[in-house]
Amino acid sequence: MTHFAIADQEPELHHPKTFIGKYIWSQDHKVIAIQYSCTAIFVGLIALLLSVIMRLQLGFPDQFNFINPSMYLQFVTMHGMIMVIYLLTALLLGGFGNYLIPLMVGTRDMVFPYLNMLSFWFYFLSVLVLLTSFFVPGGPTGAGWTLYPPQSILEGTPGSGIGIILMLASLAIFIVAFTMGGLNYVSTILQARTRGMTLMRMPLTIWGIFTATILGLFAFPALLVSAIMLLFDAVLGTSFFMPAIVSLGEATDFEGGSPILFQHLFWFFGHPEVYIVALPAFGMVSDVLSVHARKNIFGYRMMVWAIVFIGGLSFVVWAHHMYVSGMNPYFGFFFATTTLIIAVPTAIKVYNWVLTLWRGNIHLTVPMLFAIGFIFTFTHGGLSGLFLGNVVIDMPLSDTFFVVAHFHMVMGVSPIMVLFAAIYHWFPLVSGKQLNTRLGMIHFWGTFLGTYAIYLPMHYLGFLGVPRRYYALGDTSFIPESAHTLNANITIAVIIVALFQLIFIFNLFWTLKKEPKSRLNPWGAASLEWHTPDVPPHHGNWGRELPTVHRWAYDYSVPGVVEDFIPQHMADSDVIYEPGFDRTTSRREPT
Amino acid sequence: MKGFSALTEKPWLAMPEGQLIYDRSGGTPAAQIALRFLLVVISIAFLLIFVTFLTRSQYPDFQALAGEPWLPFNQSPRLWATTVVLVAASAAMQWAWRSVRMNRSDGVILGISVGAFLALVFIMAQWTTWIYLSNLGYGVSENPANSYFYLFTGLHALHVFGGILAVVRVFIRIGQGSSIEQVAIAVRACKTYWHFLLGLWLLLFFLLTRTPDTYALIASACGLG
Repeated sequence: MTHFAIADQEPELHHPKTFIGKYIWSQDHKVIAIQYSCTAIFVGLIALLLSVIMRLQLGFPDQFNFINPSMYLQFVTMHGMIMVIYLLTALLLGGFGNYLIPLMVGTRDMVFPYLNMLSFWFYFLSVLVLLTSFFVPGGPTGAGWTLYPPQSILEGTPGSGIGIILMLASLAIFIVAFTMGGLNYVSTILQARTRGMTLMRMPLTIWGIFTATILGLFAFPALLVSAIMLLFDAVLGTSFFMPAIVSLGEATDFEGGSPILFQHLFWFFGHPEVYIVALPAFGMVSDVLSVHARKNIFGYRMMVWAIVFIGGLSFVVWAHHMYVSGMNPYFGFFFATTTLIIAVPTAIKVYNWVLTLWRGNIHLTVPMLFAIGFIFTFTHGGLSGLFLGNVVIDMPLSDTFFVVAHFHMVMGVSPIMVLFAAIYHWFPLVSGKQLNTRLGMIHFWGTFLGTYAIYLPMHYLGFLGVPRRYYALGDTSFIPESAHTLNANITIAVIIVALFQLIFIFNLFWTLKKEPKSRLNPWGAASLEWHTPDVPPHHGNWGRELPTVHRWAYDYSVPGVVEDFIPQHMADSDVIYEPGFDRTTSRREPT
Repeated sequence: MKGFSALTEKPWLAMPEGQLIYDRSGGTPAAQIALRFLLVVISIAFLLIFVTFLTRSQYPDFQALAGEPWLPFNQSPRLWATTVVLVAASAAMQWAWRSVRMNRSDGVILGISVGAFLALVFIMAQWTTWIYLSNLGYGVSENPANSYFYLFTGLHALHVFGGILAVVRVFIRIGQGSSIEQVAIAVRACKTYWHFLLGLWLLLFFLLTRTPDTYALIASACGLG
């Protein structure tokens, strides 16, 4: 029996009539995508606010009485966890994955729409549980986003009571949600592609999302396992990770557990997580660059293989997060080597992006600006990763601001640059309206320059030895006089960048309310999602017949063709060539 | 090398004209693909706990639950009994799948009913084992070996429970008038899931009832000793 998602007719597709059926308990992948995105952006704004509060304390210590040391640690923890899991993972895979997979591979919906709906509501529940921890006695956990035992569950760490339990429960619920969504994404991509959509004709966005989803499915169990075992330690008093330890002057009942075991489990998830966030971003930025440079992506096959290769390698580099844990030096050597090897396919991708731009017909639209901005931030973040991948350099830099600057550039700012590129790029498809360009430009320059104002000096402070996760530095005589005001400068830049994000939020509402309808396919993109009968696409996406794909998604500026792009579903016989152009020789007849 | 040729295709070249080849039947059912991925996900979760278990088993405070006459799983008739129940459950699911292929609805309903019932009996039997252990003084936090026993069997019971929910869904679909052909994929998935449950349980049974010497041997073979 052909699945309805890949059927030419719509025998089973259920069209809800009520508001609740259409927008709340919706099984339409597009509505679910918007639900995911709105929730993720909302919770991301909370995390942004937390970072501003943290920076106020760091930049202007003793000026703000409402921030105490416990709160500072709690805000650091919640900022990190929310940004990595509940914003980036959810928005890239739950939001963009849900919206784009069925449209880009040419199906009517995900293959398990009900499961897809459950996935969102489990995610929503996980966010609620997480936010609840702000209001329980003791507040949310302040253990750092890595939640390392023994300190995460011992008294003395903020939120070591209910806070940590809610955090672990929320993570477990999130993983259930992700698994339900992830099974849907991989099954849909493998099994519900339309006629002619071979694997190597899929846009790189889909390749990125597909590989990242598989990484997520294989890596999140490690987080689930460590969360459950830590819950056992915290609630039932077991000693999986807890050694014999004295807490607040009293001996505890724990005995013999290994905190390092937790670190291994956590980073076995934690490092692939970097690529769970990065790979969809790699895919989406490739598509944005190609469309706005009016040129096919350079080295498509190499880009696909690089994505797959990076995905595979990401499972054998985890212990580079643990060089200072006292591991066997041979281990360090092994993980440093694998870490540096991963730079090879990553560099191939960066070269290919630049070569896609080379001699392209570059349109400096807002999505393109963000995409080019990503190439800068990602290269800078990646290069500092090469420093930290080496054991001897990581040792002195570990737990300093250099590390904070590195991972923010590579997996904070960079994916967010792509997310903005993607939102500006696909907004006309989702809403039928193009986001206001002037506001978009202001937003881009403020964000791009602002992030450099934040993170460049942070690298420097890290080199000087300024430690991370400290509420107050105390004696700062080890920092040269000239660098004393840098922390304040960074804080001012953070506030400015945060204000620029409000322009983006304003732009969303302004455009929806005031801007006129945009042209269909305003960027002239060739991939399938822009060629649905209706924009925004209706439930079921396509008419009675699913599209047939005849080519890849990157036929831009093809010599001799009248239009500067050929849609994926256009047959060769329908392509209109310039008069006098000979297709067989690719030459014009002399006139 | 279907996968290799799929990944080496050159999409920028013109494809030959003519009818595009694609599988009209949809190929492998999506549910089967999703199930395979789900089983891999569950396997990874258990594999990771196995690794931590083997590592932890080499710490001095670890006291295995078998190996000396007074230890609870030196002789383990309870666990053998639960194993027999799970083998029977798996056989019943196999019977249900056989009935699907012979298009016998009574066999399908009987097979999945017995399979689900026996799975429920298995969970209850595990529950009595937990109480038995706890009454003997082998509480969850007394020793890491106990902690792992409860953790492993608890997660496995949860895993079994998930399968029972899937069977309930098949019953609902049959109740709503779905034909045997329409639930065939779901019954097949249940059969695969039950066999996996059994395989995993056999592995757990083996692992949890070994002596310290065996753990040392396995751990050193895995480079964890």
